Amino acid sequence: MYTIALLILLAIGFPLQDGYRQARDDMVRIQIAGRGVSHPAVLRAMNTVPRHLFVRSAWIDDAYDDSPLPIGRGQTISQPYIVAYMTELLNPHQRDKILEVGTGSGYQAAILSTLIDSVFSVEIIKELCIEASARLKRLGYHNVATMNADGFYGWNEHAPYDAIIVTAAAEYIPPPLIEQLKDGGKMVIPVGSPFLVQTLMLVEKRGKEVTTRSLMPVRFVPLSGDH
Amino acid sequence: MKRLPLSVALLSISLIAFQLSLMQVLSIVQWHHFASMIISVALLGMGASGAFLAVRQDALRRHGSWLTPLSIAFSGISMAVVIPIIQTEIIRFDSFLIFLGGRDLLKLLTTYCILLIPFFFGGLALGIAFTHNVRQIGLVYFANLLGSGAGALSAVALMSYFAPSRLPPLLAILTLLGAALLLPRPFRKTDLTIVASGLIIAVYVFLAPDPLVPSQFKSLSRAMDLPDARVTARRFSPLGLVEVVKSSALRFAPGLSVRYRGGIPATAAVYSNGDWFGAVPDSTFLTPAGVLNFTPANLPYRFSTSSNVLVLEANSGENVALAVANGAAAIHAVELHSNVTTLIREDFACATDSLYFRPGVVIHEIDPRSFLESDTATFDVIVLPMVGTFGGTSGLTAIHEQYLYTAEAFESAWNHLSPDGVLSISSWIDYPYRNPLKAFATVVEMLTKNGIKNPADHIAAVRSWASVTIAVKRSPILPREVRAVREFCAELLFDPLSLPGIRNDERARHHRMMDTSFFALVDGILGVHRNALYSEYDFHIAPASDDQPYFSQFLRLKSVPRLREIFGDRTVPFLELGYLLLLVALVQVSAGAFALIILPLLLTRDQGKGRWWTLVYFGSLGCGFMFLEIVLIQRFILYLGHPVYAAAAVIGGMLVFSGLGSLMSSRVAVAPRTLRAVTFVIALFILAYAGILTPLLRATISLPFPLKIALSALLVGAPSFFMGFPFPLGLRFLSEHAERQTPWAWAVNGGASVISAVLAALLAVEAGFYLVTACAAVFYGMATSATVLQGGKAFGPAGRAA
Repeated sequence: MYTIALLILLAIGFPLQDGYRQARDDMVRIQIAGRGVSHPAVLRAMNTVPRHLFVRSAWIDDAYDDSPLPIGRGQTISQPYIVAYMTELLNPHQRDKILEVGTGSGYQAAILSTLIDSVFSVEIIKELCIEASARLKRLGYHNVATMNADGFYGWNEHAPYDAIIVTAAAEYIPPPLIEQLKDGGKMVIPVGSPFLVQTLMLVEKRGKEVTTRSLMPVRFVPLSGDH
Repeated sequence: MKRLPLSVALLSISLIAFQLSLMQVLSIVQWHHFASMIISVALLGMGASGAFLAVRQDALRRHGSWLTPLSIAFSGISMAVVIPIIQTEIIRFDSFLIFLGGRDLLKLLTTYCILLIPFFFGGLALGIAFTHNVRQIGLVYFANLLGSGAGALSAVALMSYFAPSRLPPLLAILTLLGAALLLPRPFRKTDLTIVASGLIIAVYVFLAPDPLVPSQFKSLSRAMDLPDARVTARRFSPLGLVEVVKSSALRFAPGLSVRYRGGIPATAAVYSNGDWFGAVPDSTFLTPAGVLNFTPANLPYRFSTSSNVLVLEANSGENVALAVANGAAAIHAVELHSNVTTLIREDFACATDSLYFRPGVVIHEIDPRSFLESDTATFDVIVLPMVGTFGGTSGLTAIHEQYLYTAEAFESAWNHLSPDGVLSISSWIDYPYRNPLKAFATVVEMLTKNGIKNPADHIAAVRSWASVTIAVKRSPILPREVRAVREFCAELLFDPLSLPGIRNDERARHHRMMDTSFFALVDGILGVHRNALYSEYDFHIAPASDDQPYFSQFLRLKSVPRLREIFGDRTVPFLELGYLLLLVALVQVSAGAFALIILPLLLTRDQGKGRWWTLVYFGSLGCGFMFLEIVLIQRFILYLGHPVYAAAAVIGGMLVFSGLGSLMSSRVAVAPRTLRAVTFVIALFILAYAGILTPLLRATISLPFPLKIALSALLVGAPSFFMGFPFPLGLRFLSEHAERQTPWAWAVNGGASVISAVLAALLAVEAGFYLVTACAAVFYGMATSATVLQGGKAFGPAGRAA
């Protein structure tokens, strides 16, 4: 069965991917490694996951551009560099359990899926959750579990997590997420206007102490077009 | 023929009211930046009609009897349809996308062109009415002026009863009725068809679903993307469209401590013109366990007595709830937006546990600055509204007059503090650092002005991961209070930012910043060399003043190259978008003024010698008048409490009184010396006026609102009456010496007015109101100088009418 699936994938999927091989290489080399992301496994993951299969058909040719893209319902797939940088910050290990808040297109979950054993992803918008879940399954990322729920509450059933990655900025850091973080765990969260300059923040939990660190400003150019 | 004045009055009412409703509509779908642009668009449309009239005057005069009503009808029809048209997807622009490529810039340009159509036809109708009915010009002109004044007032009144998008079709109906009155008898089938079709269209647009589509980047649009988000209440008034949104995912806890482990209840949120206004505090907010007690905003209550609290700009009551949670015995909440306070009192009485009905809570529905200037009570804690919005507003408020964040406002607040009272101001921490720094600078300015030698002794500031709260105590902060602040920080994992005796190692214990320059900058502001820091920093962080009340204007043009290096070309515009939008508007209206007003006349036959005088004299009048109009609108915002009231009072008052001046000018004999004397006296009058206006407004700001309206009419009317003289006198002078230059004079005056509307707004942001007022005087002085130099000699035979 697996062989048949692989053959089908080779027959259908790979030609699609191959057309973007060079674009993906360039993306990793120029936009990601060129800006200082050096974690080998992260770079490999970014070079493996076919980003163009996570964007809407109208945006396929822009999938490897250095910018976020609309995925509908006012949401976006993050700029490739931000995905790589946030993933590197978490320093993921094979056995880690990571919670993603804001599945969106499923791209970030797919990247994490190639690096660790279990990814849990929560998406508040039902349509996006259904779409992303189907897409992840279709593309073979079977170690990603998705749930349509308010990310504010995290996913308590599978807590605690080694790391949490939040893809949407909020005026507060949801207390349940801090609760669901393991002692020594990390959370990466963007802070700031969802359309403009954001600051990436690293939240670290050690016992009862919780500290934050502003890491870098993130350029986030507003999007034009239908979204 | 009494129908003409009535028809002209109806058209004039509609044109001014339409202009004001357009300002509201664009504030809702975009932001308020477009107010001065709308004034420009109106002037451009009228100016273009003047140029068209001048070029085709013979033909238009011949057919005046039917062209006047038809122009009125087309003005009405276009009033009805322009908003649905500019809101179609193909034309709808977005302020945020203008700098991302040509498409939205083109859409903005298209929007301008569409919006000027009603003004073009309206101007054409008025122009033909004036030239075609010379014998009753006095009455027609009076109807025009009276209608314009009534239009400004009626627009404000109508905004309380109709949604902003409903006003234009309503005004269109009024205009079309005016056109119907004027149709030549016997009725022609074509005329009747046009007017009747217009009425049907206007009624259809009035009844059709609301066409407004707010920018996807507005807070309301983002909230509506949340699950089960729905608008549960909608109220409109001249102050704006208030909407309440409910969603299970809407929560409010700005800068919440990372130690907080309780729940954050879903709250209803209030939006004004699509922008975030406030969260409706539910009953949990009123208890010591409420989320707001776990934010830096709780700082003033942790180290001071807080029995008597003043909350300025109470919005939907979050800070009132926090004061209740801290056991304040008396809370005075000041909020101008009566629609919001009514909502909290009525619709949300249960949800807020009768917050506004609690004993000790007093609501003042008045502008906060007016309250500060008129009330004499003192308070233990005064809370100012939070500065900026989460993640910054990308400078969208850069050109927004914010009279509550000026040095004078802080000074007023200081005077309302009890001997050990505390003034509290919170700010989001933006990057690059701007808002909290300017808040600090304003606080330090206030302290030094009050003779405090070491401001740091009076300031306690704490920082969470995203926000900072500055508490300024009237008396020096005591050691036990310093301990209380440190305990507050330790308990909630906040970091002290400024305290008497603060150590550097305690400033970033829990929350490390991207770089430590923020601390150095705060220390620099607290130090004696702060003025050097203000001039060296990449952004404007010196305190704002009542003369330049632009707290959120941070952009320094000289810093742009450096910012481009750091952030890249595509990001810089979004650091300070509001200011750049004004620059774009200036370029566009200048191009429009040239293309639609000046160019058509340049291409016509030779207008003879002495055109330089016409250019300088009429250009200066246009600039001078508009500079004063814009600056008066900005100044009266503080006096009347809201931009819409200010715009209505100033535009209406200036039109009526300058018109009366124009009428009176017909009794004055025209000669170069008259022109010189009149313009010179106006220049002197404006200079003197600039000196007395501020103290006069300040001394009377506490009067009841109707009295302030009456006084505004007087204050606006005095200069306007005299400013009504030089234009008609100049035209009469031209008609005697160089009649063929009359259209040229109209065009130059119109073009200068169009550009000045935006230029004055830009100059006010950069240099302050006093300078803009002085410039207005200089322009009238230039008209005097040009007349002195010309001396009536330059017009040769070529300039005379054939």
